[in-house]
Amino acid sequence: MTQNAKTLARAAGLHKSGTRNVGERVIGIVLFLAASVSIVTTAAVILALSAETISFFADPAVSIVEFLTAREWTPLFPESQRYFGISPLVIGTLMVTFVALIVGLPLGLGSAIYLSEFANPQTRRSVMSVLEVLAGIPTVVLGYFALFFVTPILRDIVPGLNLFNPLSAGLVMGFMILPTISSISVDSMQAVPRALREAAYGLGASKHEVVAKVVVPAALSGIVASFILAMSRAIGETMIVTLAAGQKPTFTFDLRETIATMTSFIVQAAKGDQPAGSLASQSLYAVGATLFLMTFALNLVSQQIVQRFGERYE
Amino acid sequence: MSLKGIGTPADQARLARRKRIGQIYRIVTGIPVVLAVLLIATLVFDVTTDTVSWHVVEPDNEGVNLSFQEGFRWFGTWEHVVTQELEARGEDPAATLGDAEERRKFGLRNRVELLWSLNGQPMRWVVSNSRDDRVASYGWFEGNRMHDELLAGLEGGEQLRLNPWLDAAFFTKNASRTPLMAGLINALVGTVWVILLVILISVPIGVGSAVYLEEYAPNNWMTRFIEVNIRNLAGVPSIVYGILGLYAFVRLMNIGPVVLSASMTLALLILPVVVIASREAIKAVPPSLRQASYGLGATRWQTTSRVVLPNAVSGIVTGVILAVARAIGETAPLLMVGAAAFIPRIPDGPFATYTVIPIQIYSWVGENDPEFANVASAGIVVLLVILVALYAVAFYLRRRFERSW
Amino acid sequence: MASQAVPKDHVTVRTDPIPAGEAVVTLENLSLWYGDFQALHDVSLTVPKNQVTALIGASGCGKSTLLRCVNRMNDLVPSVRVEGQLSYEGVNLYDGAVDPVEVRRRVGMVFQKPNPFPKSVYENVAFGPRLHGYAGDMDALVEKSLKGAALWDEVQDKLKQSGLGLSGGQQQRLCIARAMATDPDVILMDEPTSALDPIATDRIEELIHEIKKDYTVIIVTHNMQQAGRVSDRTAFMHLGVLIEEGPTEQIFTNPQHEMTERYISGRFG
Repeated sequence: MTQNAKTLARAAGLHKSGTRNVGERVIGIVLFLAASVSIVTTAAVILALSAETISFFADPAVSIVEFLTAREWTPLFPESQRYFGISPLVIGTLMVTFVALIVGLPLGLGSAIYLSEFANPQTRRSVMSVLEVLAGIPTVVLGYFALFFVTPILRDIVPGLNLFNPLSAGLVMGFMILPTISSISVDSMQAVPRALREAAYGLGASKHEVVAKVVVPAALSGIVASFILAMSRAIGETMIVTLAAGQKPTFTFDLRETIATMTSFIVQAAKGDQPAGSLASQSLYAVGATLFLMTFALNLVSQQIVQRFGERYE
Repeated sequence: MSLKGIGTPADQARLARRKRIGQIYRIVTGIPVVLAVLLIATLVFDVTTDTVSWHVVEPDNEGVNLSFQEGFRWFGTWEHVVTQELEARGEDPAATLGDAEERRKFGLRNRVELLWSLNGQPMRWVVSNSRDDRVASYGWFEGNRMHDELLAGLEGGEQLRLNPWLDAAFFTKNASRTPLMAGLINALVGTVWVILLVILISVPIGVGSAVYLEEYAPNNWMTRFIEVNIRNLAGVPSIVYGILGLYAFVRLMNIGPVVLSASMTLALLILPVVVIASREAIKAVPPSLRQASYGLGATRWQTTSRVVLPNAVSGIVTGVILAVARAIGETAPLLMVGAAAFIPRIPDGPFATYTVIPIQIYSWVGENDPEFANVASAGIVVLLVILVALYAVAFYLRRRFERSW
Repeated sequence: MASQAVPKDHVTVRTDPIPAGEAVVTLENLSLWYGDFQALHDVSLTVPKNQVTALIGASGCGKSTLLRCVNRMNDLVPSVRVEGQLSYEGVNLYDGAVDPVEVRRRVGMVFQKPNPFPKSVYENVAFGPRLHGYAGDMDALVEKSLKGAALWDEVQDKLKQSGLGLSGGQQQRLCIARAMATDPDVILMDEPTSALDPIATDRIEELIHEIKKDYTVIIVTHNMQQAGRVSDRTAFMHLGVLIEEGPTEQIFTNPQHEMTERYISGRFG
């Protein structure tokens, strides 16, 4: 009945007179506006990150080449000692993520297989609840745990381990991502058609053979998607690394060194209350943009995998 | 046996081997489950025991001691205790406290501290001028292990005290530079304000979005775009929402580092969770109910508001509770939008400066004095208790909700 | 009337019973419960070697459940409980010492809907033999099995392609080849053509005719014409009770029990 805004406004006016159709339309529009908040949010995130990032690179003191290649990151230092190479932050992030994945992938996949295939429904249900609680533990608490419980133990075992180190942060983060991997993988294993399992049982396969040769391969797309999503979460995680891995950007591959990650730098820069518009403040957005691009790409890949391969056997 | 093959030893060995492998599978995949449960148990145990510590304390015989109730004021505890002390010393409080220079000098030489009482009362205020001090502090385990030794080694009036950091006073004190004086009141009230506004903002928008997508949206590219967009937002790291809040709310809209900025940031953060959970709940309402309503001549909104939403409400509430639980525990985005480690006043509205429980925990962890780790653990226990209560309600609702269809 | 109660003391009507010496599978007073629900009541049946035995009856009569007892597929249902005897070549398959994995190797199964694994045609057929440690020439075994299922000519160029790429009828024959590859004695077929078109159904039925010289086949079908076309003997079940069994021709032309007659003539079920 209508196309333009004027008509819509008239419609809003008419609503008061009680015409049912118009009321319905207004409600529809209000609901649409609610739904479009998510689009505005995305647009605002992109705008905020890109505007300040562009200003950052527009500054003559910064070059993209330096950003990508230099091995020092000191934007909060006085001007004469400033370097803008993001690699220490990226490497720091990847080191923690690496440790988290080494811990989280086997644990997540193992627990998923156990819960989906070996546990009885009651155990599955209660353990899934426990995992949900684990996923709900605030990361600042996990950071505390890493710093005050895990690190002291590790320092007894690993010689030369710094008080702040990516090893301890990554270990605890591995448990943080376990529920992500586990719950998505359980879902995709449960979605493997019963017919496929029965086919294998009918050929004389025992349970573990059905799991290893039929269920896991058939659920592989979901499992891989969960890995990628977990990786994205590990990269974006902030509090565990801020508390336990340190805030000193270091170009190193040594898991015992104090490092900084992209996220811990962002916190550090924000806490310092850099004046808006300063290069130090803009550097925060540049790192934020890098972080956003990395996690966004991973999320997209994970969704693509699920969509492209997910429904093949149904 | 004539079941062919079962008799041959090779076959039997093979079958036995496969069975063993099956057992190994079961054990190996079960280990992570045990580890996850163990980790939670260890964490809870560690945090809880950290809230108690042993101290060897030395009594003082000078100055005044005020019991906790006597000394505590919502504002101005320091002045109150110092006034009592100065009067007891026979000095004029007005002269010291009224003069800025004298006040500063006194502050540098003396600290107002909350200490264990040696005369029956659990806590007392003293002006500590190195007269009354903790001689040594021990963690819960260390203290327990050395208990007899410590007792035997006490000298001249020293006493061994167990200090529970998480006591009733913890909930009435503000943050402080002195571990014993540090409490949670401002953060607790701050969390309540922030979360109240988060609910007010995110629930209408989130449920509205879900209703739109499930009941109203045409099947076109716009709808699909919104859906994909919401899925993507769910995967954006929380710190990025913090950057958004810093840029858009604190600076661009110039709202400043106040409760409202924090609430809007967190509301956007949990919006995808609320939308996704609400959609699931709405989807679970059987189509037959909708058809029945339409069949009676109800309009779309009448059907939605009187049939669909009432039947989806427990699912929506479950989702909202879980989302709110997440918001309560968030730290990183609030560090971005200016939650302060220390605020002098209790937050009293959307435009007040604020702090919240996780931020308070974070700042305590960062303090130098090792006793702040005990304070932080007390804060963590409070936070975990709140979250566990929310989860319990959510799980209960979910179970009931599952049964109803 | 949709479901007529069966008298408690019903005794299975048997025509031309099979002498014990010719039996491959023998059921004696087999009862089965899913939780509290009794799905099979004292079923006794003798399945002769190298013949096709059809199980017919209305849906829910327990014919599939009965079929799944023979390779202990019902073990996969957690709440299931079985009483009575089911012997295969004289060994009670429900004896505690018997491993269901070994049973299923000797008693193959073909399911209602074709369910090839999302693997290549070759790997589908090789799946079973690999499990059981087949040491011979795998290529030859795959070829032999595919030939046995009358599929070789159609897929010999597509062995490396996914089994899911085949047509429905081809998929079902692939599943039959897969079952044959573990060298079973008995093949169970659970409504193997219900998801197929008439032409594909014809080919499966022809195949059943051919394979019975090497295998004993038990087939569940809801299609009475099919039972008439492919089977040598037919057993009619109702509400978990075996009402009547005998040579197929006899059951279809001259049923002894009134319920059988009514089912055959299409008056219920």
